[in-house]
Amino acid sequence: MSVALSCRGLTKRLGARPVLRQLDIDVAQGEVVTLLGASGSGKTTLLRLVAGLLEPDAGTIRIGDDVVWSNGFGVPPERRGVAMVFQDYALWPHMTVAGNIDFGLRSQHLPAAAIKSRAAHALEVTQLGGYAGRFPAELSGGQQQRVAIARCLAARPRLMLFDEPLSNLDAALRDDLRTEMMLLVRNEGITAIYVTHDQAEAMAVSDRIAVMREGSIAQFDAPATIYRAPADAFVAGFIGGFSLLPGVAQAGEFRPEGLDTPLRTTSALSGPASLVIRPEDAIPARGFAANTLSGRVVSRAYQGRCWRLLVTIGQTKVRLDWPDAPEIGSDVAFDLAPETCTLVAR
Amino acid sequence: MTTIDQVRAADSTRGPVFFPRQFAWLWAAAAAWLANGLTAGIFMLLIGLPLLLVLVQAFMPALFDPLHPRMTLDAGSIARTFGDARLVASILNSLLLAGAVSITATMLGGGYAFVLNRTDVPFRRFLMSVPWLVFLTPAYLKGLAWGLLISPGGYLSQIGLMPDWLSSAFFGPAGLVFVHTFNLFPLPFIVLSGALAGLGGEFEDAARLAGAGLWRTWMRINMPLLAPAFALCVIAVYAEVLSDFGLASTIARVSGFGLLTYGIYVAASAYPVDFALAGSQALVLLLLVAALVVADRLLRQQATARLISGRSRPARIYALGFWRWPAGALGILVAMLSLYLPLGAIVVRSLCRTLSAGLAPGNLTTEFLRQAMTLSNPSNEALLRSLVYAGVTGLAAAAVALLLALRLDGPNRVMRPLVLGVALGTIAIPGIVLGFGYILVWNRLPLFEGWPAPRYGDASLLVLGYIGAALPYCLVIILSAVGQLAPSLTDAARLHGAGWARRVLHIVLPLIALSLTTAFLFTFIRTMFELPMSELLVPVTGPAAPSVIIHLFGKDDEGMGSALLLLAMIVVGIISGLIWLAANRLFGRSQPSTVSGARA
Repeated sequence: MSVALSCRGLTKRLGARPVLRQLDIDVAQGEVVTLLGASGSGKTTLLRLVAGLLEPDAGTIRIGDDVVWSNGFGVPPERRGVAMVFQDYALWPHMTVAGNIDFGLRSQHLPAAAIKSRAAHALEVTQLGGYAGRFPAELSGGQQQRVAIARCLAARPRLMLFDEPLSNLDAALRDDLRTEMMLLVRNEGITAIYVTHDQAEAMAVSDRIAVMREGSIAQFDAPATIYRAPADAFVAGFIGGFSLLPGVAQAGEFRPEGLDTPLRTTSALSGPASLVIRPEDAIPARGFAANTLSGRVVSRAYQGRCWRLLVTIGQTKVRLDWPDAPEIGSDVAFDLAPETCTLVAR
Repeated sequence: MTTIDQVRAADSTRGPVFFPRQFAWLWAAAAAWLANGLTAGIFMLLIGLPLLLVLVQAFMPALFDPLHPRMTLDAGSIARTFGDARLVASILNSLLLAGAVSITATMLGGGYAFVLNRTDVPFRRFLMSVPWLVFLTPAYLKGLAWGLLISPGGYLSQIGLMPDWLSSAFFGPAGLVFVHTFNLFPLPFIVLSGALAGLGGEFEDAARLAGAGLWRTWMRINMPLLAPAFALCVIAVYAEVLSDFGLASTIARVSGFGLLTYGIYVAASAYPVDFALAGSQALVLLLLVAALVVADRLLRQQATARLISGRSRPARIYALGFWRWPAGALGILVAMLSLYLPLGAIVVRSLCRTLSAGLAPGNLTTEFLRQAMTLSNPSNEALLRSLVYAGVTGLAAAAVALLLALRLDGPNRVMRPLVLGVALGTIAIPGIVLGFGYILVWNRLPLFEGWPAPRYGDASLLVLGYIGAALPYCLVIILSAVGQLAPSLTDAARLHGAGWARRVLHIVLPLIALSLTTAFLFTFIRTMFELPMSELLVPVTGPAAPSVIIHLFGKDDEGMGSALLLLAMIVVGIISGLIWLAANRLFGRSQPSTVSGARA
């Protein structure tokens, strides 16, 4: 599969602070890649470098076969063939929906017929046909988002960038709009880079996720791989809900700090390590010792299909999903299947 | 890997992507330097150089000596200023007057702001319009009008409201404090209304729930929170009074109450011009204003964060009960004293043959107005000239400010703070000092002699001076409008292939059109009535309307002066109203309710 975006050795400093450090990333044609990270991890900077809205200090950016930035020479954003759905959508408030869609096409000096057909297609697939004459302020949040997407679709970009497009919406609307938005992207076969700090959103939209840490990529894998096998303690800690229990690994066994009973694991890791405990992996102990841990319940919260417990094991607090509601202060014991006992180096 | 040449080749066939020339960075750097140089050049020519010459000339008083110019450092003229009892008195007069007015105007503006923003006072809409109208009418109008009202035999004494002793007391510090207070209270009103709006009801609610009564809540919670805003008002009013030329050349001149600004005017318009004396007085005034600007900056740095709260709840509105009507009556009294009484005096005087005969039927005439509207009449000529000057100044200042604002918007780390600092600083620079600086640049510097335009003694220099005086205001209005546009709006246009010109024309301009119109109208109105530049840079083709008005009053031809003033206000009002209505009709729809994208 051909490469839609390739960045090599991208470096960017803002003042004295390094924001991106020698970053490499490749995105395949038609792929949806998410840049996931906390504030200041460099994900938005990377997106803006790709768009051309910021200039790197060093490195190379290629979009398709074209070098768009290298050694201080850059193609300006208006010539990169990249579109972006902004966090605030950036709809031009003084233009109608149709005006917002046409503007970019006219900027590219396309023939009138092409403008008409592209705009009509964009309006049709985003179901905005009836709103072409409306101004953005006359639309709901969801409709505004569709206009932002329609505007990008009409431009037929080589790369579509999403800068936390759902972060301003409430939770109920967010899920629906995310599904709708990604359906459009998939149907049009567009290569997309999506920036978010929400791991659930990243899991839902991506073919691959690049988990970013302090200007570099900590892990770049499919969502399931990251969930099953986080590369290190940072990635495991960033993926919501995972708990890390410190200890020592040796010859297929893991001995938690301050506990005598070792746990069996399929990991080949040796030395100081942390056990990644996913809340849903804990199974209430069945009365015989087999990979069992126990701890004291500190708090509990009802979550619909289960209870989310916060349990102390030694000095560590661990989150578990539990079928019923034990008393606070009581002890609970749970089993972990050896194949779910993922270890990461400390 | 694709090489640069391959990409260039790709560009020629594919179209949407190209690679810039190898020396593009050089070109870009040169363009940036050129733009920065142009920005700096405009500021230098309009504001920097005139001020610099004022400063230099204060320390080298013989620099522009008509007979023996020399670059000798000499504190003689400064010593002369401080050695001359009359000049020292004018400095002290200025300081004391500014001190007194800064307190009285802040109290009046604060009270007015509280009553209008926090109580259920009647006639709110009417009373709300008063400070803005007062703000737009020039100080000398009030100075001249109060002269008509209060002078012995004036309108108030004719209807028995003004005993003679009060009339003579008015022409002195007391009258100046009175007229300044009612002229400048809109400034504290505007600042404190903003502060009161930012001071959400939650602070008060929390204090009340903690057991504090109304009085204690105000004294211990609200007043300390408002203290920085009060201090800013005192500073701003102080600077305004120090810089004022309108009342200095009307009431203060008539009363023989010497003030710094008028002293500069007298020295700069004497024949031959006493450059040394004008320069040393201008230096004193500049230093005083600079100290106030620094105090203002320091205070703002500390105060802003505490005053502005994005989460403010709507403020509590107090029901005044029985006191509602007395409060409304007081508001109307303020409106009368600050605006309608002076305006009324001008209207009446323009319709009366003589002041002393009052509104007797035989004394009424439309002759002055008729003359002011007659094409070949000197007053009418001055009015038409001023309309042209004000229109050209409005257009030019708004255009230059727009270009500067576009250049400065964004991460321009060097130019933006520099130019913004200079612009905000120069708002406080007295027009009389700037005007004197223009004389030095265009009359004394060999480099600036012989230009076709601007040229000393020509209307083009007066217009340039107007533009220099208006530019900081225009820049602040337009920069704030451009700054409120979310960067994503232009970023989005860029990503959709729009170049700089297309982004400016199709995205930025429609979104700031109303602010641009505001900047134009503000400059237009301000220039129409601008006095210091009009007085100092009188073109040989004839003076501007403000200058003519002042001189008509000076020659006791108040009827004609009032008619010209009245006509100027009517014409400016009609033109401004029509332009504003048209702009609203054209661009009102396109103004975003919010400027951060389209979020409603």
